[in-house]
Amino acid sequence: MNTSLIMIIITTALVNNVVLSQFLGICSFLGVSKQIKTSASLGGAVIFVMAISSAVANLLYTYLLAPLHLEYLNTIVFILVIATLVQMVEMFLKKTSPAIYQALGIYLPLITTNCAVLGVAITNVQDGYNFIQSVTAGVGTAIGYTIAIILLAGIRERIDESNIPAPFRGAPVVLLSAALMAIAFMGFGNLAL
Amino acid sequence: MNRYMERIYNGVIKENPTIILMLGMCPTLAVTTSAINGLGMGLSTLAVLIFSNMIISMMRNIIPDQVRLPAYIVIVASLVTVVDLIMQAYVPGLYSSLGIYIPLIVVNCIILGRAEAYANKVSPDLAIMDGIGMGLGFTISLTVIGLVREFLGSATLFGKALPELCKPIAIFVKAPGAFLVMAVLVAVLNAAHIKTAANKKVEGCDGCCASCSKMCNSDAKEETKA
Amino acid sequence: MNRKLFNVSSGPHIRSKLTTGSVMADVALALVPATLFGIYRYGLHAFLVIAASIFASVMTEFIFDYIAKKPNTVKDGSAVVTGLLLALSLPPAVPLYIPIIGGIFAILFVKCFFGGLGKNFMNPAVTARCFLLISYGSLMTNYSVDAVSSSTPLAALKAGETINVTALYVGQTSGVIGGSALALLLGGLILWVMGGITFEIPLSCIAAFTAFMALFGGQGFDPVFLLAHICGGGVLMGAFFMATDPVTSPVTSRGQVVYGAVMGILAGLFRVYGTAADSFSYAILISNMLVPFIDKLPIPKPLGYKNGEYKERQFPKAAVNLTVITLIAGLALSSVYMLTKDKIDEQKMAASAASYQEVCPDAESFSYDDTVNAAIEALGGETYDASFGKTYVNEAVVGEAADGSVAGYVISVTSGDGFEGNITLAVGISPDGTVNGISFTELNETAGMGMLCGEDAFKSQFSGVQTDAFTLNKAGGSTADNEIDSVSGASTSSGAVVNAVNTALAFYAANMK
Repeated sequence: MNTSLIMIIITTALVNNVVLSQFLGICSFLGVSKQIKTSASLGGAVIFVMAISSAVANLLYTYLLAPLHLEYLNTIVFILVIATLVQMVEMFLKKTSPAIYQALGIYLPLITTNCAVLGVAITNVQDGYNFIQSVTAGVGTAIGYTIAIILLAGIRERIDESNIPAPFRGAPVVLLSAALMAIAFMGFGNLAL
Repeated sequence: MNRYMERIYNGVIKENPTIILMLGMCPTLAVTTSAINGLGMGLSTLAVLIFSNMIISMMRNIIPDQVRLPAYIVIVASLVTVVDLIMQAYVPGLYSSLGIYIPLIVVNCIILGRAEAYANKVSPDLAIMDGIGMGLGFTISLTVIGLVREFLGSATLFGKALPELCKPIAIFVKAPGAFLVMAVLVAVLNAAHIKTAANKKVEGCDGCCASCSKMCNSDAKEETKA
Repeated sequence: MNRKLFNVSSGPHIRSKLTTGSVMADVALALVPATLFGIYRYGLHAFLVIAASIFASVMTEFIFDYIAKKPNTVKDGSAVVTGLLLALSLPPAVPLYIPIIGGIFAILFVKCFFGGLGKNFMNPAVTARCFLLISYGSLMTNYSVDAVSSSTPLAALKAGETINVTALYVGQTSGVIGGSALALLLGGLILWVMGGITFEIPLSCIAAFTAFMALFGGQGFDPVFLLAHICGGGVLMGAFFMATDPVTSPVTSRGQVVYGAVMGILAGLFRVYGTAADSFSYAILISNMLVPFIDKLPIPKPLGYKNGEYKERQFPKAAVNLTVITLIAGLALSSVYMLTKDKIDEQKMAASAASYQEVCPDAESFSYDDTVNAAIEALGGETYDASFGKTYVNEAVVGEAADGSVAGYVISVTSGDGFEGNITLAVGISPDGTVNGISFTELNETAGMGMLCGEDAFKSQFSGVQTDAFTLNKAGGSTADNEIDSVSGASTSSGAVVNAVNTALAFYAANMK
């Protein structure tokens, strides 16, 4: 595929935004986005995990699975890689920055089950990306995730629950905000790149 | 009520994974663009759920506690791969509609959540019934949500066109529409004062993936122990 | 700590200005010119669309307030304004269920469910418009009225056609109901004068948009092009009436400038690189989402800070000023250029006409040929051929005799290999391919040596010769017609001239024979 790297980033981050367009990573998206600061931290962790997992997954697929015609094992291999990576990130954060580790709490191990990480690894295979493209796509997807979650946090920090009609307090208004964000992001779908 | 039927009742109504537990949001939002897609995804997940619950229950005394999670993941991932290959071979149309969401069943909170919260604690027969119950509940929810979106967004029901009052509101079969339908659904449940994970104050996870957080909480305990 | 009790957050705390009924009435009033024009131009159905939209919005809010047991807020007029804005941004021939669905969505899902007036984070009318765009794409972009299909001016612009900007300005081209730029501009100014809006947002938005289009739109600072883009596509309505919604825009003046600029740039991005002409609405929505972050930008001076510990952020303001000044300068310059371009071309023609006449005496006038011009453009300003050294074909014209027949061809060539610099000359070629002669328009060689190339003794060597190429004889004593004796002591200059003539001959052979 001859897509330039910048186009890959813009497409994965904005046009096909992982959360608002592909519905991957919803659980943490809805759960963590209460504060801008935590969201930014989670976004950073996701970028890191996605970049490395895309790279490793691509390497494993190209040099191990494909030559041995074991492509159908990609789901298992990828998810194990991701689980391991997240464990490593957890240990790393615990040692170097306990504050962030505390702030992220449960959400760090949840990156394992974050559909987005597995999703991007599989999409890279489906789109036939080479190594550089895979990493770029991984980073771009994660950037899109970070943008979406930070924007939602910005909105949620402003929401004053007292005025919201009772049935909509809590999750519904967050889902509604996500709906409106998704409408706005569809504007990027018009970009012809 | 007979223990088995109780499991079914639990999975479909009392602890419906989509509406009450609010697990598996990703596929719920993504594949409910039509009733058929919702049905297909639900049934695939049902299949995986039954077998994963059964296997994990059968092996509950064999799998060491520390490697619980990776073991579950390997089992579930293998099952999903099997389902993936079978679908690819026998129902290619559905396979391409569901696309990437089939391998994503692996990370569906429901499966890992049930394995952690239930299957590894009970005997296989109960685990299987629980799998059937949860799977059925998931399937029914997905199909219903899919029906609503399909009706509003493309004016068809199970693929059959309806007489047009006015042109369908296409946004409902697109991304924003999924969020809209979910928002209204949860709001309706809130208004009816039905206790869901969304309005239960769960520490940490704000509503979604309640079972997942239980699983991860025990993980966290493990960290402090170690 | 129970976060519900102590909402500790940095200012500003008061987000929305007091949007009382009077401010809403001002906005509605300011929209009257555009509304009236829309009804006048598009007739009864347009009126029905407007009425349906306002009705749906007001009723939705009324019913919701009733069911939710909240005080009735219809009186503040914001639902009316939402309905009106939505209607004005719709194509005139939409079926009536569209404004109704749109109005319901705008009020219920964008405003009421978030807590009502002042609590929405996106502009209801704009969000509803995008909702409709996504749901009813074809109906929302169909601007034909009464089965007369038409494309909007912006679509035509994208296709590369030129449009009548005045018509677009007044509102006589096809478009949305509130499409009259003149009426909108009038309304916007009225609103500003009445104090309903401040100038920061519309000004920064339009300025940033114009700058982006000028830089990236592909047509430079062409005022016609830029004006067309400003007057079309909902830019004016968006900048004056939708972006200025106090609920969904930043509070501080500086923040508003940033907000407007971001919106303008996004709008330009979508205009230039997007496939839909209808993208300003999305730019507004995305900017709305950024407001919480824009509001955090200007750091308020916390209590107790000593002077000198905190520096005012002057940079953004200076940058904005500079941009505006550059823009105005650019526009002024380009206007002057456009006005004088033709005159300058005439003058240039007149100057070269004299030398062209010299080498093509039978011609009464000279004209350009499109294919030949294309061939010259294809050269892209590069040298014609390495074998001729640094020679460039400047232009080639056809000489027309009094009876309209071709009197000959003139090709102007420059050689950069002259001893002292460039040598530019015109080569006249008669219809049968014979060289009529050469005439210099630029010759700055050494006096007494290279300058002698301009003398008849040298020049006449070229006249009346039919050949593919001339050769330079440095020693002198040429025998063949196409041998040229070099000016003694000026072989460089002579060589450059010969190369230039050969370039002209080669070009002639390739493109004009």
